[in-house]
Amino acid sequence: MNKPSTRQAILVYLLLAVVLIVFLTPIYLVASSSVKPAPIMFQKPPAFFFTPTWEHYHVLFTERPFLKFIGNSLIVALGSTAISLVFGSLAAYAISRIRHRRMNDVAFWILSLRMFPPITVVVPYYIIFKTAGLLDTPLALIIVYSTANIPLVVWLMKGFFDEVPSALEEAAMVDGYGIIETFWRVTLPLAAPGLAVSAVFCFIFSWNEFLFALMLTGSRAQTATVAVMSFWSSDAVQWGRIMAGSFIILIPGVVFVLTCQRWLVRGLTMGSVK
Amino acid sequence: MAYQATRNRRIFVLFLLPVVAVLFLTTIYPMLYAGWLSFRNYDLAKPFIPRIFVGWANYAEILSSGTFLHALVTTLKLMAMTLSIQLVLGVGIALLVTQRLPGMGVARTLLLIPMMISPVIVGLVWLFLYFPELGYLNYFLSLVGLSGVGWITTTTWALWAIAIADIWQWTPFIMMGTAAALHSLSPEPYEAAMIDGNSRWDVFWRVTLPQLKPVLISLMFLRAIDAFKIYDIIFVLTKGGPGDSTEVLSMFIYRESFTFWRMGMGAAASFVSLAIITVLVTFFFKSLNRDRSALE
Repeated sequence: MNKPSTRQAILVYLLLAVVLIVFLTPIYLVASSSVKPAPIMFQKPPAFFFTPTWEHYHVLFTERPFLKFIGNSLIVALGSTAISLVFGSLAAYAISRIRHRRMNDVAFWILSLRMFPPITVVVPYYIIFKTAGLLDTPLALIIVYSTANIPLVVWLMKGFFDEVPSALEEAAMVDGYGIIETFWRVTLPLAAPGLAVSAVFCFIFSWNEFLFALMLTGSRAQTATVAVMSFWSSDAVQWGRIMAGSFIILIPGVVFVLTCQRWLVRGLTMGSVK
Repeated sequence: MAYQATRNRRIFVLFLLPVVAVLFLTTIYPMLYAGWLSFRNYDLAKPFIPRIFVGWANYAEILSSGTFLHALVTTLKLMAMTLSIQLVLGVGIALLVTQRLPGMGVARTLLLIPMMISPVIVGLVWLFLYFPELGYLNYFLSLVGLSGVGWITTTTWALWAIAIADIWQWTPFIMMGTAAALHSLSPEPYEAAMIDGNSRWDVFWRVTLPQLKPVLISLMFLRAIDAFKIYDIIFVLTKGGPGDSTEVLSMFIYRESFTFWRMGMGAAASFVSLAIITVLVTFFFKSLNRDRSALE
């Protein structure tokens, strides 16, 4: 493809400016509204320059136990990330190394589990956890999120393990390493970037999740996403604290995009784009 | 060596078994449970009615009731609205950000942000924008000479309100996939087409688009599968209303199960949507396999 001419370049930049404004305005609005004094929250035209107020954040952390909800989100997200990484990478390694024609089917079966709508299993989960006495505990969410995350880890890590040259593993075996040692000391360190990417995907998915958190938790194990939604009541719209809570929740995702955007393609397109 | 190989395979199977067992317990078992429920009169609002086996009665009822079919049609409508616009916008933006100009990498990264935001937050942000009387969207529209509408309060616009939020969040996905694919295209056909004196537009239609087709098909399948999952945004913005104008399948299942407490009906509806998605997922895998064998 040729380098565009100056006229084309100007056109590209103009169009891109419009696109960026459209796609970034909602995010700007969350950030700015979270520090906007209530009286000018809906002022038109929107105030660009105003003295920021920390009032909404203050309310969030003093009048509401938002710190506890963030803590719940963290426990659930970190717990399910750890479980998914351990189980997922072991399975991915096996799938990557076993030479069998049905192995592809196993990989697809595992991946397909991620594609079904959560709402279809909410009722069984609700009844099962109720029977087991696990409703409103972080453990219930850790189990559910691991179920959703393991397929993603398997799929991502299989790609990374496939890329580790088999010559290296064979050399380790010749040196007298057993298969578990080879995996632990040779293969896994080489696939470390994959582990990092998988971890971040698992964390963000669990951190952002809403439906299961809403259905399976009450006041004790409530996560941040459910808490923010609960600020929205029909009599008083508390937009300041909703926006402050929203801003806190969207930080991990934004940091992820800004630091590891090149891995997003791999994690989100399920191998349909190389 | 042969002994070594079988021993290794046994260890690999040990690596795989826990996951298969866990996933079986946490996905197949709940699905079987839902299947069992779907043949039962499981009504939590009427605890004294025995939860008897009712055969296909739940399926017969939802398939003959207008509300289920309406929810199915609404899901498909929303899917058509979002997929078509995401495809056109996503490919268009991908063509912009893959130009060889400074700053394109930054623009591309910034545009990926919406995808990683919690859908419930996406819903809340758009609720803020759509909010009757106060929201900024109608104000922004008036700046470019358009008159505002009742986004979430009118049956005409509510589905569009949902669609716009989804388009905002997921157009970057098509953009990202297309841009990655554009970078991996081989330059030769372009040079040939340019030498033949084709216009840029012709080159796009005759050279670029046919090469992108397999990737675009896979991306569209992934979006179509996701379209059946949409829940959070609707839950925040309209809860299926006004009337039943935004009641998609996931909302229908939610209401049957947790508003009317008819768990059996909800499970039956779940199974019908699982059947549809199984078909989509199968076609997606077929399209993936085809690409792969085409490459080899």
